[in-house]
Amino acid sequence: MKDIKIKVNDLSLYYGEKKALNEITMDIPANKVTALIGPSGCGKSTFLRCINRMNDLIPSVSITGKMLVEDVDIYDKNVDVVNIRKKIGMVFQKSNPFPKSIYENIAYGPRINGVTDKTKLDEIVETSLRQAAIWEELKDRLDDSALGLSGGQQQRLCIGRTLAVSPDIILMDEPASALDPISTSKIEELIHELKEQYTIIIVTHNMQQAARTSDHTAFFYMGNLIEMGKTNSIFTKPIQKQTEDYITGRFG
Amino acid sequence: MATHFEMELDNLKSIIKKIGKLAEGQVNEAVKVLLQEPEAAEGKTIKKTENKIDKLDVKIDEICQSIFALQQPVASDLRYIMSAMQISNEIERIGDLSISIVKKAKNIKEKHDLIVKFDIADIARQVELITEKTNKCFAMQDGKATGEIFVLNRDIRNNCEDAIHDIINEMKVNSKAVVSGTNLVIVMKHLERISEHCTNIAEYVYFTVNAKIIKHDKLDDILPEE
Repeated sequence: MKDIKIKVNDLSLYYGEKKALNEITMDIPANKVTALIGPSGCGKSTFLRCINRMNDLIPSVSITGKMLVEDVDIYDKNVDVVNIRKKIGMVFQKSNPFPKSIYENIAYGPRINGVTDKTKLDEIVETSLRQAAIWEELKDRLDDSALGLSGGQQQRLCIGRTLAVSPDIILMDEPASALDPISTSKIEELIHELKEQYTIIIVTHNMQQAARTSDHTAFFYMGNLIEMGKTNSIFTKPIQKQTEDYITGRFG
Repeated sequence: MATHFEMELDNLKSIIKKIGKLAEGQVNEAVKVLLQEPEAAEGKTIKKTENKIDKLDVKIDEICQSIFALQQPVASDLRYIMSAMQISNEIERIGDLSISIVKKAKNIKEKHDLIVKFDIADIARQVELITEKTNKCFAMQDGKATGEIFVLNRDIRNNCEDAIHDIINEMKVNSKAVVSGTNLVIVMKHLERISEHCTNIAEYVYFTVNAKIIKHDKLDDILPEE
């Protein structure tokens, strides 16, 4: 189906013997924001990292089931993981700009992808920073070190860096948890604007952030997907009691 | 262990129960005055209770406002607090109407005869009953009791309409009855309104329990099929 970007079928993940994700089946719609919520250790970040095969980097991990991104099973042995990560960008909790200039942070990705033309690179830098809602703040200091930016600016720079390689999907793992409220609201506003062009999946501990930013919400608990639905429904009339208990803070 | 938030919710719940009981008392008093029962309270007591109701109504608004601002409630908590604000408003109106009934009842001459003639006592008892049932419905958060309250409201509405029709006919033929008749019509309208407010409260309880907004629905859509 065209509206579904990612189709997950019976996906289970093991850390050695331990099952961390239990037969997850869900559809993630295109050009929408999907929030993954749940208590610590519920598997939401593990699940997020399955989407761009970040868990491949952990030797003890084994995965069963299917993760179809635009109908292609990304765990198929013929699939090139580098291509996947090009298409699926990721933003982490702690902003992690390269210890380089602002300009180079954005140009780095396109350059290793073969873009050498300076005019083209300039254009990508501007477009990416504009999309990340930070161009006006940084346009006069592109040669300054990215490490001199505030936390909120660094995080938006990292989002810009992700956008520079034209991904389809953006994964965000607690993108605003280390930021002040003003920076947080800028990131949330940005998420809202970006969904026009990208499919966004966000992991957050902040329930209000999930409610504010997402179209759909999936609640994970102990490696299981308990409930997924429209955010409006999840936060007003969840079907499962566990979801209700979690979002109203009566868990355990 | 109850969380701070749960304690606040419990506090809110007990205040609504309290204001509900006060309003029920006001309805009972109004009915006593209307039916000229000997133990009817003087206006002073009713006025005092009215002040209490007003204060609690404001208090409920303040608590709800603070919960919205500080706790950002969701799901059943959100529905409960939304309903609490509406319910306290409805209860406050019930209190006002009761006072108004007392005032109007004083202007009705030969009240006893009129009350007997138009079966007013039965309607007044029904209104007392619906108020009591509504308080129970809220206290128990009993979404199922709403059907019963709706049916009772329908009966009260029909009975009020009939009584008003008869009173007007009486006024047409007997001009001496016009002043008392008019006051009695207003009293009937007030009783009917009290019943409507009770029904609204039942609708909010239903919404809190079942996450479904049923106001403006038709009675047949709400009642479970036999």
